[in-house]
Amino acid sequence: MSDILHSPLPSLDPLLHQPIRTQIVAYLSGRGEATFSEMKRALEITDGNLGAHLNKLTEASFVETRNTTEGARAQTVFVLTESGRNALNHYVTQLSKLMQLSATGQTLSITTASLNLKESL
Amino acid sequence: MTETHQQLQSIHAMLAAGHRSVHLEKHSLLLIGGVGGLIAAMTEYLITADYFPDTTQQAVALLVWLSFWLGGMAIVDFKLTHRARQQRDETLPFAQAQMTRAWWMLLSMGTLGSFAMFFYGGGGMIYALWIVLLGLGIYLFGLFSRLLVEWIGLATILLGVTGLAAGLPYGATHWLAASCFAIGMPLAGWLSARYGNTGLTGRVLALLCWITLVVAPPLLITQAKWAAASGPDTSPLSLKAPGLRQGEKVLRLAPDTPIALRLDLESPVLTADPQATLLMKLTSPLDVVLVDGKPDGRYRIAEGEWHAIGEGVLDLMIDRVTPQLENDTPAVRAHAIFGKKFIQKEAP
Repeated sequence: MSDILHSPLPSLDPLLHQPIRTQIVAYLSGRGEATFSEMKRALEITDGNLGAHLNKLTEASFVETRNTTEGARAQTVFVLTESGRNALNHYVTQLSKLMQLSATGQTLSITTASLNLKESL
Repeated sequence: MTETHQQLQSIHAMLAAGHRSVHLEKHSLLLIGGVGGLIAAMTEYLITADYFPDTTQQAVALLVWLSFWLGGMAIVDFKLTHRARQQRDETLPFAQAQMTRAWWMLLSMGTLGSFAMFFYGGGGMIYALWIVLLGLGIYLFGLFSRLLVEWIGLATILLGVTGLAAGLPYGATHWLAASCFAIGMPLAGWLSARYGNTGLTGRVLALLCWITLVVAPPLLITQAKWAAASGPDTSPLSLKAPGLRQGEKVLRLAPDTPIALRLDLESPVLTADPQATLLMKLTSPLDVVLVDGKPDGRYRIAEGEWHAIGEGVLDLMIDRVTPQLENDTPAVRAHAIFGKKFIQKEAP
C-alpha cells in the first residue's frame, strides 16, 4: 500500500475522460463496428451530441470510418482503431489505479488532480 | 460511489452492450420456427415406407427434403436479415456473423445425423437430438444476446435430454420438437424483446411462461392421441369367431397364442427368406382392433389402456449382436428388447 501512496498520480487521457466519448469507444470495442444510428440508440443521445464527439475521436484517430456499398443503400460504419483500443485499455488501467488510491483514503479530487497532472506533463 | 467507480462501471456497461449486441431478427425466428415446426410435424407422414419402400431411397428423400427446406430458409433468412439491417442503418456484428455460421453448422449436423440414422440406427431418438441441437443454437446466440435467450437455450437442451432420459414415447418427442421450433422460437423472440432486460424475477417468470407454452401443446396432443386411441365398444372376439373380418371388431388373442415374427432383412452380407419365421408366444392377453379383417394399429395389453402403434410405446430394439458357432454352424445371436417403454409406462 505504501508503494501506491508514494507513486505519482495516474494520468488520464483528457480526450477519453469524457463520459460520452468513453462510452462510444467502449461500445465500439465490444461490438467491433457500428453505424451512427446504432450508437445513437445505444447511448441514447442526440445526433448533434454524438456527431461532435465522433468528430473529436476521428480527429484523434481513435475511430475511423468505413463506407460500405453493399445492397442498395450506402452505409458509413465507425470502427475503433488500434490506437483507440490501446487508449481505452490504458485509460481503464489508469482508472483502476485511481480506484486503488481512492480506497487508501487519499482526500483529493482524483479526476481533477490526475487530469491536471497530465496537462502539466 | 466515486466518480472513478462510476466511470469504470459505465465503461463495463458499454463493453457489455457492445458484446451482447447479437439479436435474432423477428423474421428469422418466424422462418426457423415455422420451417422447423413444419419439418418436425410433417416428415413423419411424408417420408414413409409407403412412398419410399427402400431404406436408401427413404434416406435420400429425407436428405433432399431437409436440405430443400433448411437450405432455402438459410438463403431467404440471409437476404432478409441484410435488408432489414440496412433499412435500419445497422451493421451485422462480427459475433453475430460467426454465430450464424455456428447455427447453420448445427442444423447441417442435424440433417446429416437424420440421414445417417437410416444406416446406423438410433432413429428412436432423432427428435430428441434435434431438440438438443436447437437448444444449443439458441444458447450460443444467447451468449452474445440477452440473458433470457441463453436460459431458453439451456431449457430447450434440458427438454430434449429429459424427454429422452424419461423414456418419453417417440410420438411425444415428435410433437415436442415441432413445438420447440414453431412455438418456442417466435415466443423466445417475443419474450426476449419484452422481458429480456427485466430483473431476475421477471426473467424467471418469462422462462417459466416459455416452458409452459412450449411443453403444454405436445403433452395435450399426445394425451389426446392416446385418448383417441380407444377401441370399439364391442365384445372381443376370438380368432375363429364368425364375422370377425367384417367391419370394426376387436380380436382377443389369449396368452400362449403363437405370434410369428417375420423379418424383412436388408443387408449386404446376409439374405433371409421373407417367409422365415421366428415363433413367439404371447405372455398376456392382447386385444387388437381389426377393420375389415386388417389390424388398424390400435391395441391394448391385458385389458389396459388402448394405444396406437404409431405412438412408439411398443417398439423393437436390437441392442446387441453376437456371432457364434453352434455345433459347427455359424449363428448370429441378436439381443432384442420389445415393448420396454410399455413396461416402463404401465408397470405399477
